[in-house]
Amino acid sequence: MSKPAMLAAIVKKEVRQTVRDRRMMALLVIAPVVQLFVLGHAVNLEVDDVPTVVVDQDHSPTSREHVRRLLADGTLTEVARRHTVEDAERMLETGDAAVVLVIPAGFGEDVVRRRPATVQAVLDGGDPNRANVAGAAIASYFTEQSQGLIRARVERIASLRGVAARTPDVSVRSRVLFNPQLDTAIYMVPGVAAILLALITTIVASMGLAREREVGTLEQILVTPVPAGVLISGKIVPYAVVGLIDFGIALVVGAYVFDVPLLGNMAVLVLGTSLYLLTTLGVGLLISTLSGSQQQAFLGGFLFLLPATLLSGIMTPIRSMPEWLQPLTLLNPMRHYAEVLRGSLLRGAGLTDLVVPLSALALMGVLIFGFSAARFRAALMK
Amino acid sequence: MTEHAIESRALRKQFGDFVAVDDVSFHVEKGEIFGYLGANGAGKSTTIRMLCGLLEPSGGSATVAGHEVGREPMRVKASIGYMSQKFSLYRDLVAEHNLEFFGGIYGLSGKRLRSAIEAAVERTGLQPYREALTSSLPGGIRQRLALACALMHGPEIVFLDEPTAGVDPASRRDFWRLIRELAQAGTTVFVTTHYMDEAEYCARIGLMVDGQLVALDTPRALKRDWVPGVTLSVGGRDLHRGIEPALALPGVIAAEPFGAAVRVRFEEGREDEAALRRLFGEVGRVDRVERVDASLEDVFLAVVGAGAKDEAA
Amino acid sequence: MRVLRRIWALSAKEVRHVMRDPRSLYLALGMPVVMLLLFGFGVSFDLERLPIAFVDLDQSASSRELRQRYTANDDFIDAGSIALEDAERALVAGEVMAVVVIEEGFERHLRRGEQASIQLLIDGSDNNGATQTRGKAEAMGRVFGFSLAQRSVASAPPPIQTRQWMRFNPEGRSAVFLVPGIAAYVLAMVAVMLTALTVSREWERGSMAQLFSTPVGRLEIVLGKLLPYVVLGTLAVLLVLAVGMWVFDVPFRGSSVALIVLSFLFIAGMLGQGLLISVVARNQMVATQAAALSSMLPSMLLSGFIFPIENMPMVLQYVSRIIPARYFVEGLRGVLLRGNGLGELWPQAAALLAFTLVMIVVSTARFRRSIA
Repeated sequence: MSKPAMLAAIVKKEVRQTVRDRRMMALLVIAPVVQLFVLGHAVNLEVDDVPTVVVDQDHSPTSREHVRRLLADGTLTEVARRHTVEDAERMLETGDAAVVLVIPAGFGEDVVRRRPATVQAVLDGGDPNRANVAGAAIASYFTEQSQGLIRARVERIASLRGVAARTPDVSVRSRVLFNPQLDTAIYMVPGVAAILLALITTIVASMGLAREREVGTLEQILVTPVPAGVLISGKIVPYAVVGLIDFGIALVVGAYVFDVPLLGNMAVLVLGTSLYLLTTLGVGLLISTLSGSQQQAFLGGFLFLLPATLLSGIMTPIRSMPEWLQPLTLLNPMRHYAEVLRGSLLRGAGLTDLVVPLSALALMGVLIFGFSAARFRAALMK
Repeated sequence: MTEHAIESRALRKQFGDFVAVDDVSFHVEKGEIFGYLGANGAGKSTTIRMLCGLLEPSGGSATVAGHEVGREPMRVKASIGYMSQKFSLYRDLVAEHNLEFFGGIYGLSGKRLRSAIEAAVERTGLQPYREALTSSLPGGIRQRLALACALMHGPEIVFLDEPTAGVDPASRRDFWRLIRELAQAGTTVFVTTHYMDEAEYCARIGLMVDGQLVALDTPRALKRDWVPGVTLSVGGRDLHRGIEPALALPGVIAAEPFGAAVRVRFEEGREDEAALRRLFGEVGRVDRVERVDASLEDVFLAVVGAGAKDEAA
Repeated sequence: MRVLRRIWALSAKEVRHVMRDPRSLYLALGMPVVMLLLFGFGVSFDLERLPIAFVDLDQSASSRELRQRYTANDDFIDAGSIALEDAERALVAGEVMAVVVIEEGFERHLRRGEQASIQLLIDGSDNNGATQTRGKAEAMGRVFGFSLAQRSVASAPPPIQTRQWMRFNPEGRSAVFLVPGIAAYVLAMVAVMLTALTVSREWERGSMAQLFSTPVGRLEIVLGKLLPYVVLGTLAVLLVLAVGMWVFDVPFRGSSVALIVLSFLFIAGMLGQGLLISVVARNQMVATQAAALSSMLPSMLLSGFIFPIENMPMVLQYVSRIIPARYFVEGLRGVLLRGNGLGELWPQAAALLAFTLVMIVVSTARFRRSIA
């Protein structure tokens, strides 16, 4: 009994079935591309054009000038003017504005006369990220302005005395490595690709086996002398290939459409992807051994994917999670794969830099796969 | 000395408290067509699945094609073919690809696979259906395809679980012709069926009732042992009202309707055609009275009835 | 009316199905709550304790003061001193979020009243962290410079103060922002999955054909199937929101009526979507994949749950208009945080209603073509 022939037969059958099922083909190949395309464009955490209501109760040239300059850089955009704070806050309540900027009466006078002056801002806390950025922009601006006032004063004193003006100042030159524009897409696209890969391979693997059991074809195979290992491999191999193809597509789309850099070593990427597929397919296999029907298999896959996606560090950073939750993410293959992808693609990290996530993937992959295969073999003979 | 193709020794399968197969022992000769009959739930499929290595026995043992089922299931599987009760080929593949798949699954490849496919197609008459989608095939052809797939690797023994269920009579007859050709060529056929007329084709028949093998013999011997006596069939019109009084006739063991006719069974030597003609002539019109053989259906009813009686006792 | 009675009979059957398989109940009620808790804790933008390393080439009192300022509060933690050559490697390896390079002569420049500069190397591969790091670090540098300037001049003009506070969420917790989105996300998927599974399951088992041999109309089947799940779903929404409010301290300042109306319409819409998928895809495997893909990623990424819709390309902004989750998230945030009622949120309710009706109509229409 030739094992390669058995394996070839199973793989050929899977391919034939899949190719014939056009809807499945669409799901496996087209949908990921479309999703990647759309979502890469959607994900954007930059904050600008924050709708602002201006309440200028001072009506002085000073106040008008400050407002103009504050709005100049585009972080805030004026959408309305109101006379009272209550009216302005009403716009916050309806969601028509996110910032209320209040310049109280007497502001201009206070500044000119070197008295303490205050500006108020009411921010929409419903989106704290946006509120923080807007608030920081306002605070920054006025700090700069205050600094300018000091410098002006120093210069005047110095010129009166006939000496050089001296105002110490600290300038911060930022250089962002690996993604200088801080383009969200570059950051998100590898992550979204990781999610899509898992979505496709886990669910398809788990349901495929459950389907054969439900329809009855599994029994016909079990009567033959096919070893369980060959059977599993034969069913998994086509999905692994599809996964790798999808990965290739994702890389191409990422590079051409979103300018995702390809700094790293392709070998490392392929290794990481293969190990990742090992875990996702293994999980799919495990779920199929635990499920009695296709529906259960699907639910199982879903229940794995939902938390895995949101707790992978792809959408939101792991650093933001509570202390007790962070170690748990180490059990999430998506987390490690996202690290491999980002590290390799964006930072050019090599094998040694990524040894931790790669080993984690390898270990998980082998364990999950081994466990699932054993369970599968045991479940065959009942 | 010749080995039996299949030998079952006190085979037993238990699911929790329920005993599906209770201490079943028998053997099947090489090249024999062996029939396995019984009501739904009697344990036929469970027995087959144990013999095929699909199910682990709870007790007892079985040797199939020279290998012990519990210990060498893979070797067993390599030597047998199996056709399950529920159609279990891939409906979304064309017929030829199903053959290719199952041939490959048995380890065939290249030229050997090709010639095996050709042989299977020819033997089962599937040539006009090769390119058709399996789901589009009519019932009888589908069953032939399933049989062909089971035969791809030229097994010594083939297990057929209700192979003609839901198939039209003409196709059934064709199918059994195939089975007989197989057996003639030396393949052992172990078949379960619901159709008593098909069971007549078997060399020997085993009857299962509630997990136990209650009877095992040639059809003829079974009829002789379980349905003794002489049966006369009365054909005509409006005869059924005569059944009750016929039971009262001397020497009558049983009287049952058989379609429009009535069959009356007498103890050996006590058949009385004249009495029947008189009696049935009074209630309806008698066209003919003739002697017929007992049917396996009668055997089945007798066996199952006996089983029920044993339980009651 | 006989129609109503038939719908009721279909619904009753559906309810019995669900009861017999308690897993559906768990799916509808239990899972969303579990997910809410998991995500509520795990999904957050609040970044603190970012590790930054220092390359102090000046080794002066000023440089040390600067370093102290950076690590004084919880925003950054001091990951130690490293050599300049190692800075890039540390970033590549992902060990630190940023490296602050204080050049030689830092204090000298400051004493002389000139501008001293520091360099900030930031790991841009973590977008969110990088943005926040850059913002905070630059601001801290500026404030340090400002305090020095103030000290240097007697009778310096006082700074212009900004007093800000965040309405609706004074502590600025991201949970308040995210919980409505999480609720919508989880419920969207559960709803779509539930219905996608029920009808396609009946197709595969053949019981659909059985139904069609009875005088039941298509619309009746559609409504009959939806009704129990809508009730179940609305309960689920309210349950999830209640848990969210309790565990994550999300306020509830608006109108209960608006909340119930929005929840009901949202669930109905998502169930309708699931039903449409199951009617179109007779194959369970395809139906479930389609259901998952069509609900998971769009709800997560195009609903305003995490990523603001205003920032997306126009094309996607239009696309998000047909995603019910968007309206539900908007509505939820309005009701929970901003104290809105139907007066303000009627556009969202209308949008959800429209979506639901479209789903029902199309499902019913496609139903016919599936049998005929």
